[in-house]
Amino acid sequence: MNKIKVFITILLAFNIYFSDLLSEEKINNQIYKNLRCIVCQGQSIADSNSDFAQTIKSVVNDKLSEGMNEKEVYHFLSEKYGDWILFDPPVKKKTYLLWSLPYIFFVIGGIAILFIFKKVLKHKKY
Amino acid sequence: MISEFGNLTVVLSILTSFFLIIFSIIELKNNNSYPSIKLRNFSILQLIFTNLSFLTLLMGYLISDFSIENVYENSHTEKPLLYKISGVWGNHEGSLLLWINVLVLFSFLFFSKNFKKNKKFQLLTLIFQNILILGFFIFLFATSNPFNKIFPIPSEGLGLNPILQDPALAIHPPLLYLGFVGSSIYFSAALASLISRYNGKDFAIISKPWVLVSWIFQTLGILVGSIWAYYELGWGGYWFWDPVENSSLIPWFLMTALLHSILVLEKRSGIYLWVVVLSILTFTMSVTGTFLVRSGILNSVHTFANDPTRGLYILIFLSAMIFSSIYIFYKYSPIENRSFNLFSKEFFIIINNWFMSFFLITVLIGTVYPIFLEVLTSQKISIGPPYYNAILAPFLIPLLFLMAYGPTTSWIISRQFKTKKIIYNLFLSIVITSIIILTINQKNFLINVLLIASVYLILQNIIGIYKNTKKNSGKPSTPNLASAISHVGFGLLIFFISLNSVTSVGHDLNIKAGEKKSLENFDITLEELKVFNEKNYKKFVGNIVVLNKKTNNIERLKPEIRIYKNPETITYEASIRSNIFSDTYVTMSNISKSEFYNIKFQKKPFMNLIWFSTILIVLGGMLRLISKKI
Repeated sequence: MNKIKVFITILLAFNIYFSDLLSEEKINNQIYKNLRCIVCQGQSIADSNSDFAQTIKSVVNDKLSEGMNEKEVYHFLSEKYGDWILFDPPVKKKTYLLWSLPYIFFVIGGIAILFIFKKVLKHKKY
Repeated sequence: MISEFGNLTVVLSILTSFFLIIFSIIELKNNNSYPSIKLRNFSILQLIFTNLSFLTLLMGYLISDFSIENVYENSHTEKPLLYKISGVWGNHEGSLLLWINVLVLFSFLFFSKNFKKNKKFQLLTLIFQNILILGFFIFLFATSNPFNKIFPIPSEGLGLNPILQDPALAIHPPLLYLGFVGSSIYFSAALASLISRYNGKDFAIISKPWVLVSWIFQTLGILVGSIWAYYELGWGGYWFWDPVENSSLIPWFLMTALLHSILVLEKRSGIYLWVVVLSILTFTMSVTGTFLVRSGILNSVHTFANDPTRGLYILIFLSAMIFSSIYIFYKYSPIENRSFNLFSKEFFIIINNWFMSFFLITVLIGTVYPIFLEVLTSQKISIGPPYYNAILAPFLIPLLFLMAYGPTTSWIISRQFKTKKIIYNLFLSIVITSIIILTINQKNFLINVLLIASVYLILQNIIGIYKNTKKNSGKPSTPNLASAISHVGFGLLIFFISLNSVTSVGHDLNIKAGEKKSLENFDITLEELKVFNEKNYKKFVGNIVVLNKKTNNIERLKPEIRIYKNPETITYEASIRSNIFSDTYVTMSNISKSEFYNIKFQKKPFMNLIWFSTILIVLGGMLRLISKKI
């Protein structure tokens, strides 16, 4: 049993070791997917055929070749078109609740469950 | 003529619903042990009238009676028969009529199936259900009557939006409605159960098949919607966390939670009130979703003609539903004695509910947050796939492990966590996953752990069923088999979605007719363009040849640009070569003022297996529904 546990640890470590950030060739597509085509209905830049999407794609490519990283590209575009263009809402004052509420509810749920099982935990030994 | 008859059936249906409520209230006070035959007859009449009104509208569509405004606005004589039929629910008024038909159908089935059960509970359920029916009928009649006439009678109709002219989309709304609206019956039953102080266990037994039925249809409805999005919308995706998709997913989470906790309630008390809350919430969320979509607050393909009075009516109706439910809940809820053992089956089901609630709340927040933000600060933000992936995906990992471990535990008596049970399968799944990761050269950590967890879930269930079969002399017990099939389906779904997300390839090319473009592994040639005239549209078909340089395999694809006449619209039809393991997906669009065409070439692995996994999930539910010993 212990041998297996050791094996699992090694393999997990191996998995973590091989995990890496996204490779660079994919970065353009990755960025397109995270941008809203603001003239379309609920489509991303990657999915849209519109002229607007074509323009944004070439802007993204230019900015990347100028040496901007992914975050800087998002920042640049949101300055120009507003946060509406980003599918990944940046963490700001107006989105604190958006990013924290799910976790807050999760913790509240956990506490509620603890409450149900409190009796059991108190009175019985395991 | 059709219009008058339609209006008559609607009025008759409203009257029967009204009388059903009155008679039920009267019968509540008498001492008979069963509801009277009169009530049953009335509920049959109600079913007949409501179905008739639907069939009348269908007839209007079939014979293209353009004196009916609804038919004029959404149909056309040249439309193929299938889309004349599906056109009935391809618009707000008709789909509302379908919605009411489902309400009435479930009311009738529930009432006749449980005729001999507790009378007070039966009558109260009937009353609540008919209040809903009446509410929606009045909504239909006052703001959205599909039988309104138009004069002078137009000679031709306006036609149906071409992207809605699709077989998958023809059956998508009825399936979803059976799910969405099917949940109304346990909403009514839950309120009735509280007031009649019905036994929790009996309530669980009575409502379980209805929860299962609605869950099955909801799952199928979502599946068909995704398939439609994949084939028709032309971006090669199948789920975009679009607010409208979300509003079908929220009830699904609730139904899934309910499905699991009802199993606990059948066996033991302690979570009756929670089950009641879930039952009430499911239908409430279904109506909320409809409100958000129909009022035009959310803008999407699902939004039909916007009309503020409609939104207002649903909002008032919804508030009335919520407040009266809260009132009934606090007035009548009994005191419960809760005691559970750690690591028993019920413990894990409660954990399941915890996760489902988390998923539901996240999706709900993501859907309504931008609306509130815009109203309060007039700032617009988008919440798309990255948000949901970031928050939800990590939580799938513990969920998958718990789904694997939970079903192996026993009711009530299990008290300890057994490491031995999981260690071998875990080892095996890490080995399998490592091989897969090396083969596809995959480097995303989160995806790797998701793969391990889903493989583990699949293995654990398959081995579990094998053991169960041996123990029961060759035949596994049906409930075990059903849950194993659904859980394996879910494991496969997460497994293939994860793999699909990291192995999909997409390329964007601008190309002239006759030109060839070379990519890393493929050569893509646009050979020529042909123009065809079809019955109600004109199409440009591109002949595209894809050469796989590794295997020398050639695929021919024919994406289309369609120009529809009624109404005049341009659509882009994807061309898909579908195999078990991988799809080739090509769309084509013209670039204005140039002879170039924009070709989007995508390789989408495991699409068919994603659909198949979802079907497995549904099959488990169906098996559970038809098995005698449920």
